[in-house]
Amino acid sequence: MTAIAEIFAPTGLALPRLRSAALPWAYLAPALLITLVWIYLPLIEAAKLSFYQWNMLPTSPQRFVGWDNYRNLLTLPDMSRAALNTVLYIVGLLPLSVLIPLAVAILTQDMTGRARGIYRSLIFVPMIVAPVVAAILWRWLLNDTHGLVNAGLEVLGFGPVGFLQDPDIALWTLVWITGWKLIGFSTLLLSAANATIAPSYIEAARMDGASRWQVIRDIRLPLLSPTILLLTMMTALFGAQWSFIYVNVLTGGGPLKSTTNVFFLMWDYGFKTLSAGWSAAAGILTFVTLAAVALLMLRLMKRLAVYDE
Amino acid sequence: MTNRPRQLPVHAMMIVLSVLALFPVYWMIVTALKPETEIFSTALWPKAPSLENFGYVLEAIPMLRILWNTALMASATAAAQVLTGLLAAYALVRWPFPGVKLAQAVIGLSWLVPFQVTMIPNYVLATELGLRDTIAGLVIPNAAAAFAVIVFYNAMRSFPKEVIEAARMDGAGASRILWQIVAPNMRPALAALTVLAFISAWNEYFWPLLLTRHIENAVVQIGLEMFMSQEGNQWGPMMAAATLASLPILALYLVLHRQIIDSFMRSGLK
Repeated sequence: MTAIAEIFAPTGLALPRLRSAALPWAYLAPALLITLVWIYLPLIEAAKLSFYQWNMLPTSPQRFVGWDNYRNLLTLPDMSRAALNTVLYIVGLLPLSVLIPLAVAILTQDMTGRARGIYRSLIFVPMIVAPVVAAILWRWLLNDTHGLVNAGLEVLGFGPVGFLQDPDIALWTLVWITGWKLIGFSTLLLSAANATIAPSYIEAARMDGASRWQVIRDIRLPLLSPTILLLTMMTALFGAQWSFIYVNVLTGGGPLKSTTNVFFLMWDYGFKTLSAGWSAAAGILTFVTLAAVALLMLRLMKRLAVYDE
Repeated sequence: MTNRPRQLPVHAMMIVLSVLALFPVYWMIVTALKPETEIFSTALWPKAPSLENFGYVLEAIPMLRILWNTALMASATAAAQVLTGLLAAYALVRWPFPGVKLAQAVIGLSWLVPFQVTMIPNYVLATELGLRDTIAGLVIPNAAAAFAVIVFYNAMRSFPKEVIEAARMDGAGASRILWQIVAPNMRPALAALTVLAFISAWNEYFWPLLLTRHIENAVVQIGLEMFMSQEGNQWGPMMAAATLASLPILALYLVLHRQIIDSFMRSGLK
C-alpha cells in the first residue's frame, strides 16, 4: 500500500506535511473510489435520468422532458398502487421481524445449557439460505396442486389455496417467505440484548413485589427498546427490498399487479418496458422517502430509546 | 432449572420455531432424493432414495462450472471487501485528518441507497467497461462494503494506541504497523467478516441477473433461476439443483455455525 501512498504524495515534492495529509486518503482511496463510482455517481446519474426519456438503447438519444416522468408517476395508478403495496409489505413483516421474535426472546430467557445452543443454530438456518433457494422451497411447499401445505389443508377439509395465484393472498405469501428468513435472526438479536439486562434490576423489582408482566413492561421492554427500534427501522427501510427478489422470481409482480412494490416497479420500468426515465424517477422518489424515514427513525431512536447507564 | 413447569412451554415454542426454520430445507433435500414415481407422495422419507435427480441436473446445466464460478466470485468479493475495509478503517481510526467526518458519512450512508435506484446507470457503466458476462463485473462493484468498514472500525478502535505509538517510535511505517501489528490482532473480526461476505456474495442474485448472458458464465443463483424457468415443474430435479446450490453454504454452517451467527449479529441486517 505504500506504493499508492507514494503516488498520492510523490517524495519528489519532499513536503512531509503534504505527505502525511495525503496518507489517510491513500488508505481510504479503494473503498471511497468504489463507493463513489458504483453508488454515489450512479445516484446522481439516476437523478439526472429522471428528467429524461430514454429507452435504454445506447444508440438512441436521451430526450429532456422536465418533470414529466414525475408527473406521470404521480398521476397514473401504477405508482400509488406499488407504494401502497410497499407499505403492506413492511407492515406485514413487522410481526415476523419484531413482534414474534420479541415475544419468543422474552419467554425463552430462562433457558440455559445445551438446548439453548442447539435451538440457536437451528432457528438461524433460514438466514443463510439463499433467497432464490427460499423462493424455490416455498414455491414447492405452497404449490396449489401438489404442495405439502395444500395437502395438509385438504386433510383438514379445506380446498386448495392459490398461495401465489390468488390476488388477495399472494402478497402475504411473499411477506411470509421474506419473514421466514428473518424470524430466527431477530429472535437471536433480541435474546442477546435481553441477556445483557442486569439480573439485579429484575431481582430488585421482584423484591418490591412486581409481577412477571410488570417486570417485562417496566424493565425489559424499555431496556430492549434500542434493539426493537433498530429492527423496526431495518424492516421499514429494507423490508420491501428483501421481498423484491421473491416478487421477481415467484409472481412477476402479479397476479393483477397485486404483489408489485416500488422496487419491482423500478425493475419493471427499467428492464421490461425499457423506460429508464420512469424507473429513475420512481427510484429518486423512493430514495428520498427512505432517507426521510431513516432520518425520522434515527431521531426517534435518540429520543425514545432507554439506555442502561 | 429454577422453574421446571415453565420450561415445558418454552421448549415447545422453540421446537415449533426450529421445525418451521428447518423443515422447508429438509423437504427440499428429501424431494431431491425421491425418484419420479414418488415425487408427489407426502412421505417424510422416500421408499427408494435415489440420486437420479442430481444426475438430471448435472446433465441439463453445467452445474459444476457454475458452482466453480460462484466460488471464485464469492472468494474474490470477500477478499476485496476485507482488504478495502481494513485499509479504510485503519485510516479512519488512526489519523484525525480534516475530512474524516465526511469520509465516514460517505461510506456509512452508502447502504441507504437501494440497488434498484442505481441499477440502470451501473448497468450502463458495466456495459461500457465490457464487464458484462464476466466474473470481474460481479466482483468490482461489490469490492467495498460499508458494513466491512464499520465492523473493522469498531474492532480497531479498541486496539491500544500506545502499541501503535511504540511501533512508530521504532521506525515502523504506517503500512507495516497495519499489516504486522494491527491486522494480526484482529483475527476474529477478519474471520467473521470473510465468512459473512462470502455467504452474502454466494447468495447474490440481482446484479448477476443483469450482467449474465450465458449459462457457462452464470453464478449459482442465476443458474437456479434459469433452470426454474425451463423446468419449473420438474420438482425432483428442481430440488436437486437447489440442494446442490445450498450444499457449500450448509456445509460451512455445519462447521462454523457459532461463528457465523455471531458475525451476522455483529454486523446487523444488511
